[in-house]
Amino acid sequence: MKRRASVVVIGGGISGLSIAYNLAKLGLDDVVVVEKRYLGSGSTGKCGTGIRQQFTTKEHIMLMKESVKLWEKLSEELGRDVGYRQTGYLWLIRDEEELSVFKENVNIQNKYGVPSRIINVEEALEIVPYLNPEVFIAAAFCHKDGKASPFKTVNAYYEAGRRLGVEYYTYTEVRGMVVENGRIRKVITSRGDIETDKVVNVAGAGARKIGEMVGVNIPVENYRHHIVVTEPFQEFVKPMVIRGKLYFTQTERGGIIGGIDMPEKPDQPLRARLDFLEVFATNLVKVMPILKNVNILRQWAGYYVMTKDNHPILGEAEKLEGFYIAAGFSGHGFMMGPIVGKLIAELIMYGKPSVPIDALRLERFERGELIYERAVIG
Amino acid sequence: MTSSRIIQHPILNFERGKKKVLYFEDKPVEVYENESVLAALYANGVRIFSRSRVLKRPRGAFCLIGKCSSCLMEADRVPNTRICITLTKDLREVRYQESSASPPKTSFFIAKKPEEIPTDILVIGGGPAGLYAAMYASKYGANVVLVDENPTIGGQLVKQTHKFFGSKDLYSGIRGFEIAKKLAKILHKRKNIKILTNTSVFGLYSGKLAGAYHLRRKQLLKIKAKQITVATGASERFLVFENNDLPGVMGAGAAQTLMNVYGVKPGEKALMVGAGNVGLIVSYQLIQAGVKVVAIVEAMPRIGGYLVHAAKVRRLGVPIYTSHTIKSAHGKEKVEGATIIALDKEFREIPGTEKYLEVDLICLAVGLNPYSQLLSQAGCEMVYIPELGGLVPKRTRYQETTISGIYVAGDVSGIEEASTAMLEGGIAGISAALKIIGNNEKALNEREEMLEKLEKIRAGRFFERIRKGLRKVLIDERRGNSTY
Repeated sequence: MKRRASVVVIGGGISGLSIAYNLAKLGLDDVVVVEKRYLGSGSTGKCGTGIRQQFTTKEHIMLMKESVKLWEKLSEELGRDVGYRQTGYLWLIRDEEELSVFKENVNIQNKYGVPSRIINVEEALEIVPYLNPEVFIAAAFCHKDGKASPFKTVNAYYEAGRRLGVEYYTYTEVRGMVVENGRIRKVITSRGDIETDKVVNVAGAGARKIGEMVGVNIPVENYRHHIVVTEPFQEFVKPMVIRGKLYFTQTERGGIIGGIDMPEKPDQPLRARLDFLEVFATNLVKVMPILKNVNILRQWAGYYVMTKDNHPILGEAEKLEGFYIAAGFSGHGFMMGPIVGKLIAELIMYGKPSVPIDALRLERFERGELIYERAVIG
Repeated sequence: MTSSRIIQHPILNFERGKKKVLYFEDKPVEVYENESVLAALYANGVRIFSRSRVLKRPRGAFCLIGKCSSCLMEADRVPNTRICITLTKDLREVRYQESSASPPKTSFFIAKKPEEIPTDILVIGGGPAGLYAAMYASKYGANVVLVDENPTIGGQLVKQTHKFFGSKDLYSGIRGFEIAKKLAKILHKRKNIKILTNTSVFGLYSGKLAGAYHLRRKQLLKIKAKQITVATGASERFLVFENNDLPGVMGAGAAQTLMNVYGVKPGEKALMVGAGNVGLIVSYQLIQAGVKVVAIVEAMPRIGGYLVHAAKVRRLGVPIYTSHTIKSAHGKEKVEGATIIALDKEFREIPGTEKYLEVDLICLAVGLNPYSQLLSQAGCEMVYIPELGGLVPKRTRYQETTISGIYVAGDVSGIEEASTAMLEGGIAGISAALKIIGNNEKALNEREEMLEKLEKIRAGRFFERIRKGLRKVLIDERRGNSTY
């Protein structure tokens, strides 16, 4: 294990791997990723795989516009297929009240160059046959949204980073950090110490704890969400379909994957719930009745790391030089992986990212400068 | 197609039920209503049930118990049906499906509304361990729900035709399938035991809530128990060799299911891989079913099973090649032959010692893995112990895991045999019942007796490896355990 690194990236999910890869791509040597279990074992490996630009704030829309551009070329850039498919997101609108909200959302999205539009029931049925036309009156669709494979993406970033000299220490837990004169000096891990003056806290559900080690308050909360996958079929659900808090799509393998919001207190252990299956099944079958007798293969739980305004925390902590944060992705971290990696790497190397992320700094919470995102799925 | 049905068996009578017609690829086929669809098609000469997704390689019967996905077909328009655990009496027609099933266009059945079942003790698995756990828990007054995936209870006992040995109170001198019948009879008579067959427990949730699915009623069952005993047994190991996916390669247990449960000959000429007890016993059973066992190969330099079983097959002229293994299977679309090869002291193949055998059946008896996923999922502390067959839970000598109220018994806690499974089951059953009824001197004494019997059986030379393994997983019953 290295005794000294230029940057220690804490967290081996898509964001951490993307940051490490981008740093190495910009020419930085001695980049190290420390992961307490295996790469992708946190929220990345448990997510619903969706990639969308249909958000309601300028910050999210701009970030995801850029992220999608990167996703479109990611397999080529990393030299390995990440399973990216631009099959769209189809948001089913239930009533007139929702329709006016979605019309507003689509306006904002169009204003920033995202080609979403309101379509009618017939058009929606052409995109996803077998939908129950009685449970929605219109839909919002963006053909440039899509999905990818979390596992293939993790592997691709890992290998590409490795080729550029990034080193990865898995099953290695960060136990503390040494700070002297307002600067980081070293990271203490379960397998030894690493001297460095730059740390990226991209530890997902562990981000708050990492912040506490250096007296930086990272106001995120870990909420357990549930997800399920069915037996495989030939492809018949191309986009991500959403209705209220229910979402579902089809994996590469052919299983229907999806989830729905369940009442949960923060910090629950990641155990599955049986009532989730009942609630999900009831709601899914309402939207797509042919799935009534389909077999469920597997269910699992993962964390949405939530901030008060559902936007991530990106940037360097003002009170601790060299302590960078990319956390609190509130259920949409996977899709942001490519752009977050690029921007944090630029911030570290040049002091300034190519897309402004000032509004998403940590300090916005204590200054009351929150930006509220309304469209959180699942 | 000539039938491979066994008409005259030296020991077994097959209760096949009424004759009926099943449409296979729109052609009528004569079957019996109590047969599984797979057994029925097999009896009519069908050997390929599906094809692999990318290379379209033929897939035949492999596990016969619903765990390997080789036999997925479209049955009465339901895609991905495991025909090995579906009886013909429930169906009209069956056909091949594309490797990826086409989306279901209509619903096929009306599921029954979910049912909540509260109980004192849930026993998962109706083999010897589970049957004993249920028997002893109910003996001391606890209400028991016993659940098993299969259409009948008895576990691996139902497939055993040989007479068991050991002590009289553990059914020595009686054939396995008869022991199963006896135990089932006792359990069915007890008013405080509810038996649910065709029911699969798919998850253990917080608060000892078990999610289960009744396969025939298509019903979700929510079983809320105070104590749970997991007795889910084991699954067969696979072996790596060229063409190991050809129809005609199956687990030894699968061959047993075909022969002894459904009375269907698995083949004409067999190669048995593995000379442990399973390999030896199933070889003998193959001969009873009219199959010629051409050879038994064993990678170790010594026969692993009891010599009494080995002697029986040797007397019938079956050669046992120790320090040998299978190198490859041969055949177009099904097994037509096999190449075996000798191994040196480091288990490396010795070139030039290849031998070709003309066989149409290759049985794998290469070990069992504890079927312990429910325990891992429930959060029990698990350890990988090769001497016990794989991933097993830590447990006290009273069979309780690191989760308070979750017990284990039988092969799932470590691969052994029926007698130890029964005793472990009894100990687990009594321990669970004690938590419900409070201290009971008779129960405590009976439990100590069982522990003594268990120790006595395990004192033998044959159990040296197992004793070694058990030492690594035994925990003190006085230390606290977690709740779930």
